[in-house]
Amino acid sequence: MNRQNFLGHLALALAIIALAALAGQVRRWQHHPTTRGVFVVDSPSRTLAPGRNFRRAEVLVRFRPGTALDRIKNTARRLHDRFEDRIEAVDGLAVIEGEDGETAEDIAAEYRSLPELVEYAEPNYEINLDHEMLGNAIHQHPDDPMFGEQWSLENTGQSGGLAQADISALRAWAKTTGSDEVVVAVIDSGVDYTHQDLMNNIWVRPPDMDEYTDDELGTIDDTYGFNAVSDNGDPMDQNGHGTHCAGIIGAEGGNSLGIAGVNWKVDIMPLKFIDASGSGTTKDAIKAINYVINRKRAGVNVRIISASWGSTMYSKALEDAIREAGDEGILFIAASGNASADADRSPHYPASYDLPNVISVAALNRHDQLASFSNYGARSVHVAAPGAEILSTWLNGDFREASGTSMATPEVAGVAALVLAAEPDLSMKQLRERLLKSVDKLDSLSGKVSSGGRINAAKAVGAD
Amino acid sequence: MALSKEDAVRRARADMAQRLGVSEDEIKEEAVEQADFPDMALGAPIEDEMSGQMITSGWRISLSAGGRKAEYRASRDQLRLYNYQGSNYRL
Repeated sequence: MNRQNFLGHLALALAIIALAALAGQVRRWQHHPTTRGVFVVDSPSRTLAPGRNFRRAEVLVRFRPGTALDRIKNTARRLHDRFEDRIEAVDGLAVIEGEDGETAEDIAAEYRSLPELVEYAEPNYEINLDHEMLGNAIHQHPDDPMFGEQWSLENTGQSGGLAQADISALRAWAKTTGSDEVVVAVIDSGVDYTHQDLMNNIWVRPPDMDEYTDDELGTIDDTYGFNAVSDNGDPMDQNGHGTHCAGIIGAEGGNSLGIAGVNWKVDIMPLKFIDASGSGTTKDAIKAINYVINRKRAGVNVRIISASWGSTMYSKALEDAIREAGDEGILFIAASGNASADADRSPHYPASYDLPNVISVAALNRHDQLASFSNYGARSVHVAAPGAEILSTWLNGDFREASGTSMATPEVAGVAALVLAAEPDLSMKQLRERLLKSVDKLDSLSGKVSSGGRINAAKAVGAD
Repeated sequence: MALSKEDAVRRARADMAQRLGVSEDEIKEEAVEQADFPDMALGAPIEDEMSGQMITSGWRISLSAGGRKAEYRASRDQLRLYNYQGSNYRL
């Protein structure tokens, strides 16, 4: 970046900070030290009068990592644009200026049509110190290098998807990027708590809290959670499924590594009851829920259980355990199942338990359509969330895409945690209502889920 | 250790031969095809089993012998017998 451009960007950054201070946002950012993220402004269609604040036809294009500068310049030249600058802090991010009179939207669309070369492209607009701009216009854009592939958080139309068919994470992050005061229990195959993109967001038992004691199991050192398969305190994942779900909820954001979770900062409590092959027993699921309730009673602020599993077998004991969790103020968010079935007629448990603390989640694809595998149910399935081709953390420091209502469930659990980060005093009932009443209604979900919509993080946290 | 397609077919043939009391030579491979199963129990859960609701890739192995048919389902992690005389089996 040359000196002139640097000063220009510095001035822009200062203008953003001044604007944010007026909006009362700076205090929040100080509380959530995620300043490595890049601040940008929202789309003009939502916040700006076209032609009024528009500076020039300029777009921010993120080329895929490793794209040579010469190739970036040649591409710009071929599209009759000018390569203006490179943002060194974000690998592959370039500023491109139009030279043939096209609008910034059109230019951005041209680059988005090159998915083999471009992760995302978006118009770049000048930010005015204008009170009309206050409020929702600013969002945080994480610098995590794989963020461009996370269509569930920001769907730019990448890989042929439908732009804005996402959970509106960017606008939600203007209000909060999460809090490590909020604990989310991931009851699953455990979590790889050493994964670089998760390790800073893993719950650790406070040193002044007693170890977990169970009448039958005795005392267990539950420093990192609980393993109900082996009845010990090591919930290390040997399958990958739980690590994937955990990353969706809370892979560390703004750390220049991997992906961003719905929460950049959160406390994930790893629980293991599913073995290496991907299955577990009802008994061990109940033991894991019992552990969560115990820790809640011991003072841990665990408010949410994410449950990406299930069966068509009804269990009264499991239902009772989940009801007990509800009595402790714990929201239980569960996968509706992958049988392409109407769960009103063919229930899938635990999602189908008719309990006041249960949310049953269906899965959407990147086109805002119900995923072909997803269960649905006008009465018993409550909300939908992205659940197809979801990129998240995996074993051995890896990242991979996976599909299922398993993946949609932690999207909702993550949004629930975001809401609690912003409003920690909400009751479980209020939290559930907030999630279900702040959805984006979709035609494709009419008669399919009771809320009729896709989860919307921005609306849920009150940023929209 | 990860299961290969060949391992899965070999184990499936051996299982079916044992169930029917015939030699493995009498087991015929009707089809072995790539498949996506709806969950981590490969759509063949056994009683009291909870499974991760993630689409899981693997192989559908269709075998027959003496007029009897059986469908095995396998992934890199496991092998199951699907809906054999009304029940699923995890092998």
